Amino acid sequence: MVTQQKQVRDLQEGGYVMMDGAACKITHYSTAKPGKHGSAKARVEGKGVFDDKKRSFSQPVDAKIRVPIIERKQGQVISVESDSVAQVMDLDTYETITISTPSDADLSPEDSIEYLEMEGQRKII
Amino acid sequence: MFPGASAPREDAEYVVVGAPLDVSTSFQPGTRFGPDRIRTFAETFDDYDGRTDLHFSDLAVHDQGDIHTWNDVPDYIKHLSGVLRDVAWDDAVPLLLGGEHTVSAAGVRATDPDLFVTIDAHLDLREAYDGDEWSHACVTRRVLETAEEAIVVGARTGSEAEWERAAAGDVTVVPPEEVGGWLRAIADGERDPFSRKSTYLSVDIDGADPAFAPGTGTMEPFGLTSREMCGVVRAVAPHSIGCDVVEVNDRDDGQAAALGGKLLRAFVYERAAAQQDR
Repeated sequence: MVTQQKQVRDLQEGGYVMMDGAACKITHYSTAKPGKHGSAKARVEGKGVFDDKKRSFSQPVDAKIRVPIIERKQGQVISVESDSVAQVMDLDTYETITISTPSDADLSPEDSIEYLEMEGQRKII
Repeated sequence: MFPGASAPREDAEYVVVGAPLDVSTSFQPGTRFGPDRIRTFAETFDDYDGRTDLHFSDLAVHDQGDIHTWNDVPDYIKHLSGVLRDVAWDDAVPLLLGGEHTVSAAGVRATDPDLFVTIDAHLDLREAYDGDEWSHACVTRRVLETAEEAIVVGARTGSEAEWERAAAGDVTVVPPEEVGGWLRAIADGERDPFSRKSTYLSVDIDGADPAFAPGTGTMEPFGLTSREMCGVVRAVAPHSIGCDVVEVNDRDDGQAAALGGKLLRAFVYERAAAQQDR
């Protein structure tokens, strides 16, 4: 999996982090100030980018953590196959891909969309 | 450790978290000692509850210890709410030990209830107190930014602006002299304020008459008896997704802490018994 290493202190809300092997978007980041002894700890909550599952962890702020490299791509809808699946052409590579669509999306052919891609997993945003 | 709270975290159905925040207490400080006072004065309580036929140590309660505090209150509340959200995500019930009343905002953010029920002498509906919107005198106002409705049981004092705010449709005030009737109406089925509403219960120990709980920061006479408070806790517990006991300090001989600890146990017994009946 394409990831890079960071320290927990460098994470921020809205960014990405690996939790339990899944790429997650950080929804909540807070640090506990240390007492007289001990080191500061961070608490991170996230939501799976591709599975929407909520996850969280607490780690010392100087712990190392993996951050996924997620590509943000542009595409154009070619056809809408059903309420949950669409054919999309990537506007960089002109490759045609099948992608599942969010339940609240109202897509039509020729719509321009943005999507996230990581190791064959894709999600329209 | 809270006596009997010996379950491992991963098996817990109730998780005790101490939040010894003591920043905005406006008169007598000491809520930083609240969690440990409550733990200490709960040590003498029997594990067995005859009313529900339950043993506290069988009810999967875990004590996670205290979340160390610092002076940046919004930052601390954010962190504490995250810790409590972990508890809620595990389908366990957070049992928060204050600390000043401000910490209830974290419990409410973590559990996101429809209804906030608080036993409190004060309305705590100020927009800000001494310019501080995170003062303990503003907690119900802060909570109403998350919960849809609040019931303040035992309230007997507030500023003119707070009473005006309390007259709005999302706030119900049950004054001390009406608590008995309110509880009877619930028991008789004439009133059901919790119906189909997820509820968070906050017990500010100053809701009690100071004769029962002098160890609190801002004592207010003409309050509830400890038995009335227990009645409220028992009525609300079966509907609750979180609970706290706050504003206990160390300025008495343990009366406030003993009452707080006993009410917390009553909450757990009553809720557990209701779960078993379902």
